Amino acid sequence: MKNAITIFALALSLAPFAASQTPAPAPQAPAAAPAAAPPPAPVPITDADVKNIAAPAADARAKGDPDGGLTGTVSDITVADSKKGLTIGDIANQIGQNKIAVNFVWTLITGFLVMFMQAGFAIVETGLCRAKNANHTMMMNFMVYGVGMLAYWLIGFAVQFGGYGANANLGNTPVLNKEFAINLFGKPFGLFGQGGFFLTNNHSYDVMVMVLFLFQMVFMDTALTIVTGAAAERWKYAAFVVSSFIMGAFTYPIFGNWAWGGGWLANLGTNFGLGKGYADFAGSGVVHAVGGITALAVSMIIGPRIGKYTRQGKPVSMPGHDLVIVLTGCFILAFGWFGFNPGSTLGASSNGNLRIGSIAVNTMLAGMAGSFGAMLYMWLRYGKPDASMAGNGLLAGLVAITAPSGFVNTVGAVILGLIAGGLVCVSVEFIERVMKVDDPVGAISVHGTCGLWGVISVGLFADGKSNYGGTWNGVNGNVTGLFYGDASQLVAQLIGVATLVGFVFTFSFVVNWILDAVIGQRVGARAELQGLDLPEMGALCYPEFELKTASVAVGAD
Amino acid sequence: MMIVGVVITFLGFLIAVFSVGMTADATMRLVIVLVGIAVSLIGIIGVLNRACLSKAIWRR
Repeated sequence: MKNAITIFALALSLAPFAASQTPAPAPQAPAAAPAAAPPPAPVPITDADVKNIAAPAADARAKGDPDGGLTGTVSDITVADSKKGLTIGDIANQIGQNKIAVNFVWTLITGFLVMFMQAGFAIVETGLCRAKNANHTMMMNFMVYGVGMLAYWLIGFAVQFGGYGANANLGNTPVLNKEFAINLFGKPFGLFGQGGFFLTNNHSYDVMVMVLFLFQMVFMDTALTIVTGAAAERWKYAAFVVSSFIMGAFTYPIFGNWAWGGGWLANLGTNFGLGKGYADFAGSGVVHAVGGITALAVSMIIGPRIGKYTRQGKPVSMPGHDLVIVLTGCFILAFGWFGFNPGSTLGASSNGNLRIGSIAVNTMLAGMAGSFGAMLYMWLRYGKPDASMAGNGLLAGLVAITAPSGFVNTVGAVILGLIAGGLVCVSVEFIERVMKVDDPVGAISVHGTCGLWGVISVGLFADGKSNYGGTWNGVNGNVTGLFYGDASQLVAQLIGVATLVGFVFTFSFVVNWILDAVIGQRVGARAELQGLDLPEMGALCYPEFELKTASVAVGAD
Repeated sequence: MMIVGVVITFLGFLIAVFSVGMTADATMRLVIVLVGIAVSLIGIIGVLNRACLSKAIWRR
């Protein structure tokens, strides 16, 4: 008996080896496996089934619900016809409503985050300017919110999104359906929208349109506030108001229509086979490059501040007055960017929107890499890790990741952020020393140069793994860059760059040139030397601080 | 000079746009678009900026 057990145990232990040495009968094996049985046929659910779903008892609810197990049940589903009671139709409608509600709430809250970025921009720009202009700089940043919003409500939103079409994340409402297009090369070239003026025209008094307006309005205001930084300390306040209104009504919305509103850039894929068309996920081009390029045009027209250059054209350093608020502002902006990029999905539910986590991580990584890149550049080149440039590096990384945030992996995000951090330093030096354009806060480099880099980087680093409902800009498949096999996407991105550099700059330059001729863009020399707080705004930002500075100056004499 | 600069900058944009109608080859389109960008940059940096700098406050 003992021998029999030993032989049986030996046989069992050798069995796997024996099996491994036997050629597997591949064709027969699956047929023999019982696990390959076909799945059971689905059982249709009828209205009778849903009527048997029990709601929590009234006496149980009356005792409160400390663990939340009784709240949010079948009793919370809205019944369309009380005589029929709960039906499958009611449940399906509730599911649809929940999806859209999640997406509405997501889009609105991320829009609120982007709105708070105005505070970040305001204190970054004010901190980088001299104390004698603090009221003026702060007031431009404060009022650009209202001026831009008014322009966008009256005109801009309709120009940008009047022909947008439906959005599956926000309920597929088709009221934004009027796009003006011309025919070029046998294809329609959408140029601007025509529906949604005052948010009432063309049935645009609609819940989806309101959510879209709020989210896009704060994006537009971000672009406008970039210009106030580059033109700070010498821009006439009245000229700022008019220039900002025109930018909110036309400059930004026109390019925004071409990229996001169903215009010709978005359709480069469907019409000309260029990748998935111009792809700018959250606006490196639409928001930041438009702002930075307009800032360049305005700065060139109004010229540098008095004292910025010697008679030989050598730049003179004019440090800002408060690095604490500069870096605090950078943190506020980095926080707001979690609304900017992940919010640009316009939803958290369905259509591949669960990539919001990936988008958020890409955003924070690129910002980190940008600040590292700028800090290392300054440290190696000048011997000190410059604080304001480290802050600008953070913003440069964030600007650069804005367009590709929805299309790249984390390695791509870090590489392009690091490049942006170095690029912003080189660009600041080029603009200040070679072009001799005065930009007190580095806005042209941060938003213009790095915005263009962000647009290009989509065409390089997009890994083809993101899939927002199966198509992008109406083209089936995923956005894929040159490094992952699609060179044509890079061409689409470069056409976007050419449009920003060639069209947006020209438009902004001509508009502000005319404005300069009509009302004058620059304050007088006396006001500039005195500081713009009193001559332009009528009040000092830091009256006691000014007195202290004066007394120190007297003492020094 | 300002008007010349504006025209050159805008011309670069037109070159890039017309690349899609000139050829269907991605490499050729890439080259044409890059030429367009270069033309626009020449318009901005080489012509317009120089015109603006000629009136700069530090030259007076």
